[in-house]
Amino acid sequence: MRECIFIKVLMPKLIIDKREVDAPEGVSVLEAAQSVGIVIPHFCWHPALGKAGACRVCAVKMLDGPVKGIQMSCMLPVQEGMVVSTTDPDAVAMRRQVIEWLMINHPHDCPVCDEGGECQLQDFTIAGGHGIRRFDGPKRTHVNQYLGPNIEHEMNRCIQCYRCVRFYQEHAGGSDFGVMGSAGRVYFGRFEHGPLESPFSGNLVDICPTGVFTDRTARFRARYWDYDMAPSVCPGCSVGCNITPVARYRELLKIVARRNDRVNGWFICDRGRFAPKEANDPLRPRTPLVDGREASWEEAEDALLRRLNEIVELYGEGSVLVVGSSRLPFEGASLLPLLSGVLSSGAPGWFATRRETRAAHAAVSLMTRENGASMADVMNAGCIAIYESDLREEGPMLLLAVRQAWRRGAPVLLVGEHSPLEQTRAVGIEAVQLHYMEEAPLAIFDRPVVIAGTKHGDPEVMAMLDRTGARIAALFPGPNGFGAALLSAEQGGGPVGAALASGRVKGLVAVEADIPAELLEGIPVVAALDWRATSAVQAAAIVLPTTAPVESDGTYVNFEGRAQKFCRVIRPGLPVKGLDPAGHPPRVHEAAPPGGDLRPAWRVISDLVRLAGGTPPEEPLSGRWARLAGLDPEGEGMVLGGRVLPNDA
Amino acid sequence: MRVVDDITAILTGLWTTLKHILRRPVTVQYPEEKRTPSPRYRARIILTRDPDGGERCVACYLCSAACPVDCISMQAEEVEGGRRRAAWFRINFSRCIFCGLCAEACPTTAIQMTPDYEICKRDVMDLVFEKEDLLVAHGGKDARYNFYRHAGIGVTQPRGEGAEERPPVDVRGLLP
Ligand code: SF4
Ligand code: SF4
Ligand code: SF4
Ligand code: SF4
Repeated sequence: MRECIFIKVLMPKLIIDKREVDAPEGVSVLEAAQSVGIVIPHFCWHPALGKAGACRVCAVKMLDGPVKGIQMSCMLPVQEGMVVSTTDPDAVAMRRQVIEWLMINHPHDCPVCDEGGECQLQDFTIAGGHGIRRFDGPKRTHVNQYLGPNIEHEMNRCIQCYRCVRFYQEHAGGSDFGVMGSAGRVYFGRFEHGPLESPFSGNLVDICPTGVFTDRTARFRARYWDYDMAPSVCPGCSVGCNITPVARYRELLKIVARRNDRVNGWFICDRGRFAPKEANDPLRPRTPLVDGREASWEEAEDALLRRLNEIVELYGEGSVLVVGSSRLPFEGASLLPLLSGVLSSGAPGWFATRRETRAAHAAVSLMTRENGASMADVMNAGCIAIYESDLREEGPMLLLAVRQAWRRGAPVLLVGEHSPLEQTRAVGIEAVQLHYMEEAPLAIFDRPVVIAGTKHGDPEVMAMLDRTGARIAALFPGPNGFGAALLSAEQGGGPVGAALASGRVKGLVAVEADIPAELLEGIPVVAALDWRATSAVQAAAIVLPTTAPVESDGTYVNFEGRAQKFCRVIRPGLPVKGLDPAGHPPRVHEAAPPGGDLRPAWRVISDLVRLAGGTPPEEPLSGRWARLAGLDPEGEGMVLGGRVLPNDA
Repeated sequence: MRVVDDITAILTGLWTTLKHILRRPVTVQYPEEKRTPSPRYRARIILTRDPDGGERCVACYLCSAACPVDCISMQAEEVEGGRRRAAWFRINFSRCIFCGLCAEACPTTAIQMTPDYEICKRDVMDLVFEKEDLLVAHGGKDARYNFYRHAGIGVTQPRGEGAEERPPVDVRGLLP
């Protein structure tokens, strides 16, 4: 009985369009309606930014209960006994008229607007019942600003919902963009022309419900209904933000944020969004090569095994090194030890330096289910220490999470010489700089979190971080850094740099690994499996071209040990652009796209193992990793603890 | 009387036949003889130009979205001065059903149907028309409309000087 009362207090019951709705206390009528699938048009309200009551579009009529009459549903918290109608003629008329006046100054330029087709203003204008413009008087116009190479500004399209400025200033702590003017002259921009400074400025493109901000890197390229899209994970760093890459005619056009409340929420950083589109790089390896000559897959794979076996015969076991990386998807990474096995080499190498290897091992063994900090833990922390890390480089979205904790009162400490003050300034945080971890008074706060970078962190200090009582978030050098560290720690992988510099390595297989060119000099046999034109691909006698992340399915394990699946967006092959000198697509038919004979790294590894007489598993994620195989790419992913592997969980 | 009814029916039929024998034939001796279709006739498609001679098509992809048989494809690009146009524009006339939905969808009156119905080719690839085959030097059925004059975003004329536009506001002004 007591439980019943408890639920009743927390969950006010109301009636929306004749349906009974239980909504948690504090949510607005708009959210309560959305929770049962009733969409009320809205512009200024956004799930991550809350309400502003600026656009007046979400009008509903309260028929009965504590408040009555026409109300803005985003501003009104749910209360027991409310009776709401979204279809009442008064509410419908109000919404239609509000939209009509929002559209009075809107230009007539949908055909040349990149937002067209994915525009909330288009959708809600039509949904609100305003189909034909009646006003034919003159419209107010604005002068646009140059906001940098990534974002296009077209102020005439603005409907004054204030989403952009609320995101930029409140959520992301930027100070160089804001709202100016009065009355009909309200202007959203910078005080003067110039690139936006916030490392999260690209979210303006997603958050603006109109086409004021559009992605300049994909300007005038395609329409929403023609996009090739699939759920994916950002390869930019180990945070593993969820993204939707957008492609057309086998060319990657742009990246947009994809919501995952467990990781990035609604947003992503500019580093991930505006990263160079390497999948389109014309210099990418596209055919297997043997000594610079194009070869068939069989020929190249045979040559690789033959030459490396010769090396093993000549120099003995351990003269061949297999190198993986933090950007190699987990499918390939988990098979790499088998390749090492058939080549009689020791454990694969994953990290460059001894310090980085030890820091990564220390980090992965710390991040058990109890100690690991998720994005939510960072956002709700009572105090945050950033240990030897510049989050703008190692994990920008964590910086945005740190800001949310700081807004709730958490102090932010920057520990060590590699934690510059500029990073917190970029999100408008005032932080305290400390030299050593011991100086951080974490114990006096509730829910402390330490964010540590493995790039510069001291392994000894990292190994002791759990003694501070804080939750730990350690950042790795790439999107699958946790996966690489997990496998490396298990198998005792050593530093790649030291091994190559020692001169003992006579044969090298670089699997999607970035190795400095000077370390490759003097190695008799270099083979590279990669989709980028890396220095290893340049130096390699045998090149086996693999698929880019947007061209295959795969799994990355992010900084907190969360395995997340990404899906294929583009069919491998040269972009249609540039295939025909006349500028249009070729006028001949081909069964397969040119340059499309690429294979995912896991498949190449597995083929090599089979050719060498080993028995690779049928599917890349099998045995103890089988539970990762069925991950839902649109779900939350699955957290692997450092010590808690999936099969003992 | 059934017999009378039957005879009347036969005579009526014969009378109709006789009438048609004596009438001028409606058959046209194509191709020696050709008819002029009405200007609204829906056949070969063209891409027209605005009164200033600029390409009307802004490569908005609406025609290709509207086309029920998916025979239009294009790639948009930006050119000097901010104009948006098609880098390439292709209509596969071997697939087109001449329904006119593309012309109906076009917001700039660029794509128009013409009465030229004689587009048979021996090689089907010759029915795949590229932009240079489609673009004409006139405005088609509407010689006056110029989309960019009404678009409201300051392309082809300075901002605030198009039709139905006020001069740009002074955001630093304090007057109401
Ligand atoms: S620029 Fe966009 S997000 Fe900002 S107020 Fe205008 S419409 Fe809203
Ligand atoms: S924080 Fe990292 S994973 Fe997230 S969008 Fe930025 S670069 Fe990509
Ligand atoms: S006339 Fe119909 S079928 Fe032909 S291109 Fe236009 S929309 Fe497509
Ligand atoms: S609808 Fe008109 S303006 Fe748009 S792409 Fe087609 S022809 Fe060009």
